[in-house]
Amino acid sequence: MTSLTEVRPAQRTAFARYRHSLWLLTKRDLSVRYTTNALGYVWSVLDPLLMSLIYFFVFVVVFKRGDRAGEDPYIVYLMAGLLPWTWFNSAITDASRVFAKESKLVRSVSLPQTLWVARIVLSKGIEYIASLAVLAVFAILYHAPLTADVAWFPVGLLLQAVLVYGLGLIVAPLTVFYKDLERAIRLLLRLLFYASAVLYSPTQWPDHVHGIPVRPILQLNPLTGIMSLYRSAFWPQEFNAFHVIVSAVGSLVILGIGFLVFRRSVPAVLKEM
Amino acid sequence: MVAVDSTPVVGTGGSGHVIEVSGLGIRFKRNKRARRSFKDLFAGRRRRARPDEFWALRNVSFGIRRGEAIGVVGRNGQGKSTLLKLIAGVLIPDEGSVQVRDGVAPLIEITGGFVDDLSVRDNVYLTAGLHGMTKRQIDAKFDDIVSFADIPGFLDTPYKHLSSGMKVRVAFSVITQLDEPILIVDEVLAVGDKAFREKCYARIEQLLAEGRTLFFVSHSERDLRRFCTRGLYLKKGELVMDGPIEDVIDRYNADYNMGSTPPRAGA
Repeated sequence: MTSLTEVRPAQRTAFARYRHSLWLLTKRDLSVRYTTNALGYVWSVLDPLLMSLIYFFVFVVVFKRGDRAGEDPYIVYLMAGLLPWTWFNSAITDASRVFAKESKLVRSVSLPQTLWVARIVLSKGIEYIASLAVLAVFAILYHAPLTADVAWFPVGLLLQAVLVYGLGLIVAPLTVFYKDLERAIRLLLRLLFYASAVLYSPTQWPDHVHGIPVRPILQLNPLTGIMSLYRSAFWPQEFNAFHVIVSAVGSLVILGIGFLVFRRSVPAVLKEM
Repeated sequence: MVAVDSTPVVGTGGSGHVIEVSGLGIRFKRNKRARRSFKDLFAGRRRRARPDEFWALRNVSFGIRRGEAIGVVGRNGQGKSTLLKLIAGVLIPDEGSVQVRDGVAPLIEITGGFVDDLSVRDNVYLTAGLHGMTKRQIDAKFDDIVSFADIPGFLDTPYKHLSSGMKVRVAFSVITQLDEPILIVDEVLAVGDKAFREKCYARIEQLLAEGRTLFFVSHSERDLRRFCTRGLYLKKGELVMDGPIEDVIDRYNADYNMGSTPPRAGA
């Protein structure tokens, strides 16, 4: 016991500590997942892979509308949307349970509380990037060449991380006070899935249905622009500047709201722990 | 407002205190478990009866100098553990402020950071890391941590397969190796067998001798007298006495223990 002269944790900068803890928690998430499940990696791609095959079967084999739903090859088009959707969906679902699940840790370690959400965004994001290997395999099998627009991919990643983080900061504290919100969120996520351009191209949206302005409403969904950024890697015509701008503005606004909600509710959340 | 200071300068401010608590207050709902549901949310403000709240702590102010050993005295539900959590930074006050100007090793819910499915080794790195140690620092301390916990041959066992006594031993030895100048202890020592308890006590005495600041909550008079020099007496969320530990214990005993029927505590 000599080393009080060493650099103690409290003497490092807050930012260095945050980054250090974020990385530890992210690694913990990933290693728990990969040590407790023999099929670790397979599980993270199995769900989107199976869903892609199901939608392919329904739209292409049964309804024979593969030519109209999205770009060709449709199976690659589906996966390019379902893999990021899996990130979005699982991160929001986990964020809605995080304080219930990690209450022991929250009670015992004094860390910036936003870490609990940030680490979900990061670990699920890493799983998403790892799952892209499967997309690559399908792209090769079905001859879907990459274009120069793949340069938009990091922008898509960044926007999605901002959006997921913002939404996570909103749902994580609220589910502590309103238990039923967890179920409501799962329902809303399913609704959002069909409302987002995951299964089809946003060009398929009708302008009006029975006087309801469908397209103007759905265009406000920030996921649309993110999908367009990802898909432009294979189909440059999918890039839609308007959707991307809506997406960027929407994601930043949601992140701002998220910080506000989180900061105001965190003292009360800690009392419930 | 909390200001848990994490700047590189380990100063003690103008006051010479490493822990500065001023006008501290925190309130809880009386019925903690009652969760509001969607029904309340949509029922409108008038129908939502404001759940009555109480102050678990109010107007608590004191300062602690480096190297002091403080014992907190009070009956159950008088705010002792709440005060500890506020100082450890896992609760945020509604009023006043807590300033901690140095690193804290909290022996509160010590097994909290441990993950059942990971091995003991991974858990040691995880928990020490979350409390701020770098990998290199943990590497250097690893053997000390493991030998203190006295669990040879269990390093690569999943944490959930340890006995509850072993779990506590591992956790205790990680937190006390953190090398932080402030130690916060919340009756964790009540667990574990007698031999290990004595080992823990010896460890805390060693840390005190090295100049650590101790903040200790216990119901055991013997432990309080053993470690502490100064006492804080909490009653119904107020700090009613701050003085030498012997005087504080005497006052506490005069209030409650001595023969007569103890008055009913408010909470």
